[in-house]
Amino acid sequence: MLSCADFLAEFGDYIDDTASSDLRAHLEEHLRECKTCQVIIDSTRKTIDIVTESGCFTLPAEAVDPIVSAVMSRIRQRTT
Amino acid sequence: MLQGLAVKRENLALYWQPRLFMSQSATIFNDPPRSYPQLIATYGFLPNLFQAQSAIPQAIEAEQQLINTVLVRQGRLSRSQKDAILNAVATVRGCDYCRALFGHSLAALPDRNSGLVDFSLKLAKHGPWVSQSDVLILKNSGFDERAILEAIVTTGVGLMLCTLADGLRPQLDAELRSPASSELLNVPEPIDWPKTPGAHLGLPTDSTADSPAYAVLREQFGYVPNLYRLQSAVPDLLDAEVRLLQSVLFPEEGLNRVQKECVLLAISAANLNTYCTTLHSQVLNILGVPLEESDQIVKDHRDSCISGTDRTLLDETRKLASLPGRSSQRFETERLRAQGFTERQIVEAVVVSGLANFLNTLQAGVGATADFPPRKVFGPKDLYLFSDRSRPISDVAFPEDPDSALVARVRDGNIDVFEELVRRHSRRVFGTLAGLLGNIDDAHDATQEVFLKAFENIGRFQGRSKFSTWLTSIAINTGTDFLRQRKPSESLEETQGDEGFRPKQVQKWADDPERLVAASQMNELVREAVLRLPEKYRIAVLLRDINQLSTEEAASVLELSVPALKARVLRGRLMLRESLAPHFIRQDKTDA
Repeated sequence: MLSCADFLAEFGDYIDDTASSDLRAHLEEHLRECKTCQVIIDSTRKTIDIVTESGCFTLPAEAVDPIVSAVMSRIRQRTT
Repeated sequence: MLQGLAVKRENLALYWQPRLFMSQSATIFNDPPRSYPQLIATYGFLPNLFQAQSAIPQAIEAEQQLINTVLVRQGRLSRSQKDAILNAVATVRGCDYCRALFGHSLAALPDRNSGLVDFSLKLAKHGPWVSQSDVLILKNSGFDERAILEAIVTTGVGLMLCTLADGLRPQLDAELRSPASSELLNVPEPIDWPKTPGAHLGLPTDSTADSPAYAVLREQFGYVPNLYRLQSAVPDLLDAEVRLLQSVLFPEEGLNRVQKECVLLAISAANLNTYCTTLHSQVLNILGVPLEESDQIVKDHRDSCISGTDRTLLDETRKLASLPGRSSQRFETERLRAQGFTERQIVEAVVVSGLANFLNTLQAGVGATADFPPRKVFGPKDLYLFSDRSRPISDVAFPEDPDSALVARVRDGNIDVFEELVRRHSRRVFGTLAGLLGNIDDAHDATQEVFLKAFENIGRFQGRSKFSTWLTSIAINTGTDFLRQRKPSESLEETQGDEGFRPKQVQKWADDPERLVAASQMNELVREAVLRLPEKYRIAVLLRDINQLSTEEAASVLELSVPALKARVLRGRLMLRESLAPHFIRQDKTDA
């Protein structure tokens, strides 16, 4: 069976759902036995969801127009 | 109620069980004559779009009734408001035939700046992002719920007709003028995925509880799905929709019901529609398809156990899905013919795809909650899952780049078109730079620099990656240049390797960690945690989890091998987890 260190080195593909069936079987075998790795994989998934859905670096909708205007104005200046 | 039947499944085609729900006793419409007077009255002639469906006249008749009910009959919205919606939908979908068809009946140039058109554009292009607040904006502009429902259904009809045109490719009718070159519509990239599903409209439900339409739905599904309940205050509309189901979905003369439900399921998954994938998975289960098999079709039908013939059917119909990231590949009738599909079946496949987009749009607009616990709840990151496998890593042209036409026009000297590219990508570029630099003012300045560099170098863009990937590369390079100017001594490379990081926080997290922190604090918490990451991990996480690039795209941007990129992303995610853990661990520590 995989060690926890092996598990932690390999579980990225499992989280992204791109692990081969062999690797998946090994990881799941380890997961069935190891509560710590269960916690780590669960909380890593939650971390990804939180970060993905937070929108913490999102440009507010009202800030798009000023950026578009500024860029196009500079481009038109350069091309005339 | 729906109950799974234990029918073992080997090939979809074998599993159509006509005994299920096929009684004709609840048919509510008499067989009408095969002429289409309302379509001719609407358009002045019978458009090729409908003639191309002559193999299934009952579908044309149902479409006629729907068009008459939704577009022609007097309602809350004026005809010109509906035409404006239809034109906007055809433009944003890039369907020239429908732009000509819908423009044909335009009395005047539609007002593209109205809140109504904005709403419909968002629904057509970014349906899963439509939320209660979009509906509230319309209400605050004076539209009542009936009017909003009309806007939703009009958008759905527009998308359905565009789907038919994309699949059937009718010749432009002699009566129609070629549309002018496509104008650019401002459809902002959506920000917030609706966190709480629920009905967007408060129209009374079950006001037609004894209607024939309800009887058909009960007989077919065993109950009345929420999607239809929410529209029951408008009986004409409900009748027209049920007739469409009766004419397109329920008959089995061409494709069988399982095949049609699979098309509905696959397109609903491509459109990220949790409600419709749940409904069609349950229907398939009744038809003998195990839920696990439907799960696989939702995830990726190419890995499911369906026959090669049915896989081709889903390959092709999925190209007709309406989601923004949809493939630009064309629906190929030849592939279906080669697999033995008849002309009628091919037309049916397209019509069922149109029905799928129509129902998905209705659901996204009215916000019906799933009738059963969903087996897969879609989120924004799923948008990028479906096309991963078809994405080449390097050195070959990306056939699916949605920006390629605009880029070509800019390269031909049309400077103004670049504005649309800036509009499309400014949020993503800004997000990357804000995450990299941690300073809003610098991110604004750097964002402008990125687009100026992109414009100046667009002649060198070879199309070997998607334009958005190329732009992200410029953003990363520009952002790191900004950092170097700020902290010349800081190195991007860490001495520590990507392996060997050991998590220290191993207490179980709460089931729903978002509830432990106020929404207003969550952004700040995540922002700080991301900005604390060492740069190379921060960039990897930004590209994968915030920008949602595929692994291959992120590796290409950073000029890393895929394994190296994966290692950085994993390390970054684990470090973020450590950082966030103290806020989200479960309060009862007995189960740690």
